[in-house]
Amino acid sequence: MASTDKSPHPTPAKHSDPNPTPTPGEPMKMEQHVVDKSAMMVQCFKPINQMSQHVCTFAIYSHDMSRQIETHHYCSRLNNQFLQCAVYDSDDSNKGRLIGIEYIISDDIFETLPPEEQKLWHSHAYEIKSGLWVNPRVPEMVGMPELEKLAKTYGKFWCTWQVDRGDKLPLGAPALMMSPQAVSPGLVRPELLHERDSKYNISSESLKSSRIEIPEPEMISPMADYWKQHDKGFVIDFEETEMKKRAPFP
Amino acid sequence: MSTNNDQSQVPGEPTQTTTSLLQTVTSTIQGFGPINKIHQHLCAFHFYSHDMTRQVEAHHYCGHQNEEMRQCLIYDSPDKNARLIGLEYVISENLFLTLPDEEKPLWHSHLFEVKSGFFFMPNVPSPIEHKDMEKICKTYGKVYHFWQVDRGDALPLGIPQLMMALTRDGQLYDHLVQSCAERMGIDFEKERKNREYMTGPAHGIHPLANGGGKGLETRLREVELNHDEPLPSATRVFV
Repeated sequence: MASTDKSPHPTPAKHSDPNPTPTPGEPMKMEQHVVDKSAMMVQCFKPINQMSQHVCTFAIYSHDMSRQIETHHYCSRLNNQFLQCAVYDSDDSNKGRLIGIEYIISDDIFETLPPEEQKLWHSHAYEIKSGLWVNPRVPEMVGMPELEKLAKTYGKFWCTWQVDRGDKLPLGAPALMMSPQAVSPGLVRPELLHERDSKYNISSESLKSSRIEIPEPEMISPMADYWKQHDKGFVIDFEETEMKKRAPFP
Repeated sequence: MSTNNDQSQVPGEPTQTTTSLLQTVTSTIQGFGPINKIHQHLCAFHFYSHDMTRQVEAHHYCGHQNEEMRQCLIYDSPDKNARLIGLEYVISENLFLTLPDEEKPLWHSHLFEVKSGFFFMPNVPSPIEHKDMEKICKTYGKVYHFWQVDRGDALPLGIPQLMMALTRDGQLYDHLVQSCAERMGIDFEKERKNREYMTGPAHGIHPLANGGGKGLETRLREVELNHDEPLPSATRVFV
């Protein structure tokens, strides 16, 4: 089984593909559209309706920090200290691929985690203050209170579809992602940033200026952003094991 | 034993009013692209790929990439405070057969859970639901859970868990069946009879699917980072 850092088919790493290959498969048939429309009319989508913000930012593979991706988070807040986000590779309703999930917690919740768990989380202060993290279409002043809160949070992001290495379907094990930081290899490549900024007609540089006042956390936990102090990343492997059963399988 | 009906509070205070108001504003202004494509709610059961005795009721919210591929967000309940616990990708048999052999064991078949009634679309009239079930019967899924709610975790701790699906009678706990049937208003026995006519993948369930019949467990490994240039270290400046 392919570990995080091994592709089942060797594919060249791509930094940013403006025209990603569409997901293989035939276009949706009329019958499926009918099912979908009917479902939408009678079903409830309460957990989905809770999603209240779209965030566009960047993430970096923890095991190979030369690979950086633009991400689109759709987040819902469970309480004052916790958000859960579905992460896509674009905001395009037709093409957007579900590439993972990120959880966001406040610093006081983060402090309660054991060190072994803290290693898997990353800080958000830099990416917010540097203007990398944006809420498309939300006026900066409207979004400011939320940004101030989020600047003190930590995130845990598992990526399950490595689209940047050319995977046409989600292959292998999940990858733990890290956040952009002020030092290499955490710095986002300028061309990636420029492409994103052009798309939304924004300037991360001017956002950075408008965010100068956002308070920095007093201290970023030393276990977060693990690579900074330890120069190491993480990979998930699969191990064959005796399944604990209550009936025959398969 | 497993249950995810225990809605342990996620640590944290209730959302502040100012935050809620802001959320209403942002959600009105912003577009939610791929989320707007989520058109179906499907309910099923998963168990851990290394431990069949730990089982989770899984609420899928799915959107189609195309006729042959769906991507689903998985929650532990259909309620507004539901926890986002994982995701699932669903692909046609044709797409499954294009996967490298190394990849196939991570995917599970849907035939049994559909025919037994345990995979269903809440509230959708049977004739329409069956149209979709007939298709799903022939598909394969890949599920990761990131939040082990069944062991009482108040937060998403640890590493991703590969999940598997039911493949025969006797696997699913009766208490989970009953609890689901009551809350979701479904008669599983009746559904099973109504779905007897459905057929599975044209080539049969692939022997490498469902873990290849073996248990699989995820493990975390630390790796050295390769650098083109060394990490910045304290430099001495000579004035």
